[in-house]
Amino acid sequence: MDQGRRSFRNPFDIETPPGAEGWESMYPGYLLFGEELRERDEQKLWFFDQMHNPEPLYPFDLMMPESWLVSLNQYTTRVWNLPTALGIEHRIVNGYLYLSPNVIDDPAAMAEREPIFAQRARHYFENWDDIYANWVAKATDCIERLKAIRFEPLPEREPLDTVLRARGTTTAFDLLASYSRYLENCHEMAYYHFEMLNLAYGAYLTFLEFCRSHFPAITDDLVARMVAGIDVILYRPDAELRRLAVRAVELGVGGALTSGAAPDAVQAELRTSEAGRQWLAELEEVKDPWFYYTTGSGYCHAKRAWIDDLRPPFAALADYVRRVERGDDLHRPLDKLRAERDRIADGYRSLLDGDEVTGFDNLLALSRQVFPFVENHNFYVEHWHHTIFFNKARDLGAVLVAAGLLEQDDDIYFLHRYEVYQVLYEAQARWALGVPTRSEYTWREEVARRRQIYAAFEKWNPPPALGVPPDKVTEPITVTLFGINTDTIERWLAAEAEGSQDGRLLGLAASPGVAEGVARVVHQVEELEQLEDGDILVCPLTAPSWSIVFARIGAAVSDGGGIMSHAAIVSREYGLPAVVATGVGTRVLHTGDRLRVDGGTGVVTVLERAAAPAGEAAGA
Amino acid sequence: MTDLHVVPDQTAGQEQVAVTRNCLPEHVSHVGGKAVGLGSLLRAGQRVPASFVVTAAAYRDYRRGQTRELRAAIAGAYAALGQLDGTEVLVAVRSSAAVEDSAEASWAGQFQTFLGVSGADEVLAKVEECWAAALDPHVGAYRTGQQLSPDEGGVAVIVQELVDARAAGVMFTQHPETGDRSLVVIESSHGLGEAVVGGDVVPDLFEINKITRQQHRSRLGTKHTEYRLAGGGRGVQARPVDPARQQAWSVSEPELLALTDMAAALEAKLGRGLDVEWAIGTAPSTHGEEALFALQVRPITVDPRRRAERPQPPVAGRDQDAIGHILGRLAGRERGTGDG
Repeated sequence: MDQGRRSFRNPFDIETPPGAEGWESMYPGYLLFGEELRERDEQKLWFFDQMHNPEPLYPFDLMMPESWLVSLNQYTTRVWNLPTALGIEHRIVNGYLYLSPNVIDDPAAMAEREPIFAQRARHYFENWDDIYANWVAKATDCIERLKAIRFEPLPEREPLDTVLRARGTTTAFDLLASYSRYLENCHEMAYYHFEMLNLAYGAYLTFLEFCRSHFPAITDDLVARMVAGIDVILYRPDAELRRLAVRAVELGVGGALTSGAAPDAVQAELRTSEAGRQWLAELEEVKDPWFYYTTGSGYCHAKRAWIDDLRPPFAALADYVRRVERGDDLHRPLDKLRAERDRIADGYRSLLDGDEVTGFDNLLALSRQVFPFVENHNFYVEHWHHTIFFNKARDLGAVLVAAGLLEQDDDIYFLHRYEVYQVLYEAQARWALGVPTRSEYTWREEVARRRQIYAAFEKWNPPPALGVPPDKVTEPITVTLFGINTDTIERWLAAEAEGSQDGRLLGLAASPGVAEGVARVVHQVEELEQLEDGDILVCPLTAPSWSIVFARIGAAVSDGGGIMSHAAIVSREYGLPAVVATGVGTRVLHTGDRLRVDGGTGVVTVLERAAAPAGEAAGA
Repeated sequence: MTDLHVVPDQTAGQEQVAVTRNCLPEHVSHVGGKAVGLGSLLRAGQRVPASFVVTAAAYRDYRRGQTRELRAAIAGAYAALGQLDGTEVLVAVRSSAAVEDSAEASWAGQFQTFLGVSGADEVLAKVEECWAAALDPHVGAYRTGQQLSPDEGGVAVIVQELVDARAAGVMFTQHPETGDRSLVVIESSHGLGEAVVGGDVVPDLFEINKITRQQHRSRLGTKHTEYRLAGGGRGVQARPVDPARQQAWSVSEPELLALTDMAAALEAKLGRGLDVEWAIGTAPSTHGEEALFALQVRPITVDPRRRAERPQPPVAGRDQDAIGHILGRLAGRERGTGDG
């Protein structure tokens, strides 16, 4: 094969989009491509982390990738001593996050790490249930400590109490100390995030490969359905909405929820009756924690959670109330789902013999034992903890607005977390001086500049990958956490070469079923209301909270996502045909195209192109 | 060992005409491999075109000049077929080699098939022609080379009603190339199965997951030709297929599910890895109603070279320790097919 053609664009040849000049100063230098490592970096594969950061990185939100850069990679490299892998590198290109795995292929190095890895990983597998129970306690405690951190505007005068108690330090000092604890708390949660995740995915991967070796045609979706938990915490937010919808009908207040009014107006209406107040009280009870449920992947502050914006859950409530009034049973058929999962497993088991059956049963049992962690960690970390974390940043932004250093509270997200230290220091200095300082001008100007750059980033389409792919992608973290394997790379190479000229796009089969309909390309949750019944949602990533439209749309096609990403899990849960990880769907498909989506094979076919692609660029 | 694997037993049944359903593997030298296959299908509960078997013993009796009893037996059995709809039914008369059906290929050309035969006299005449073909000196020499004398083995003949097939083809109860046991692979075309078996057309192809009963893959064939019964069933005629029908699937979704059910039923009775010929059409025994027929079954023959190319699955769980297996995988000792 011609090696020269088997590569993506050179990361050093990527042009800066107009208006984004000077963007590099927004991010730490160690995350940028630089001449020092050019020879090495341009020979590696760098793939776009569409799954976690489909949007350009806000400098503050870089907290999350930088947290996992250390926590995930420390586990791989230093804690578990995974024999086959070192850490996953990060680079930022025009605001977008690219990742590159590193494999160990020196047999001597692998052999040295293997016994260390085996001893350590075995300890976790053998004590999984106890360690997981303790994990839940640690994660919950971490979240409670985060909640307790408060950012209050600096007072006009230091409280008298400081003097009477002879504290010595001041509230300004407290602010900086709180900020330190706040950052530490996020790093701490990132460690918990990856404490068990690699191993859980490793168990799943092994079972997946066992199934594929015996049944080459088995789809990832079928393996996932054998392993996936039925009654896991990740589904609780939706379950609570269903319950609240039933309660609303019981209390006779369903009409307010289906009125189509904005959430504020709906709540005002409900407050006028005893039954309405009762329902609102029940709503309040479930909000913490179940409304800490983000509309994004949990890695971007701009994707708000239900607790911040009641429109998504209220839209879902309206839909559920209508269904209750129609006589639908909203309870998830747990017994049916369990029976289905057992039927698939029994079906495959019946095709195996002797030792194969034992191997299948053991791997399936272990996968099922560890998999609830994969599903549930997502609620604790990405939904619950990250929502609180990003909202606390907004509180801190308000403190800096009050101190006169920022224009509006969300300016803070345009500053890197260590720049925020500097701003906090300067706020404290201004508070100390009691006279104007340059700080009131410099940070506002910088934020304004960065907002323009960010807008330029949004107009740029990041390619799915850069650099030179290896012959085979074997690094287990890349394969399992990011859903990227040799096939993915081949698909992307083909898509880069041909676009979708043959009217066919191949992704991962994420949720079975076939649907035809009109495409609507959607980038933001706010645009979901444009979807009409039966439309095919084409998006960078289907987030669980987008499930509110799943009742209306025909199918979903996403650029990113892996088979066990929360997106795929919830798509299957809603019985929606879904194809994920197309890499280029939002670039090569256009609103108005007529599509056929086969969620069983992962093929998206363009049946008819839209008359005129609605102002979308031709792509990279 | 499945019901299809033949254990030759020269001492089994000596009757001149055998009931197909009773043709067991141990009777192969007496009734031939095809009849054993049909018997297996019948005992597995499948609809098979109505038939009877003129046995190798009948052939030996015939050679010794004992023709009167034979005539009576064949006439009786044929009349019984005819009672299915009260007329002289059209039948096919074909040789059934006294070897495993799948081994018959190496004897190709020495076995006869006559279509559209009617009346007891004509049936007997065609049975005689089958035997004459087997007695051909050229054939005899060939078979001597195969260590099987015609006097010892004999040649059985199957007499079977004709199915006017709207669609037909072959079905593998596991993937013939990858060996995937979860898939049923169906090849189908319009008309009689000869178009598929003889390689005249690119058939429609379906891969169906046995467990979910959903289509894993499908491919529309070209199907430019179909074979249909012609001349009152006396022959088979190749006809062009009009473009609209070429573009249409040759079988429906429910028919594919019926075939999938057939595969499951056959594997339950006969073991895994079957190669099945099937047809959907009408026959005297269905009184003109369309039905799905199983026509033949044999173990899938896998090309040994292909088998060698196929990667052997890792022996998972060999130490019965799932944790050890996972640790081994993550340590890179068992690469598996994660990149597949």
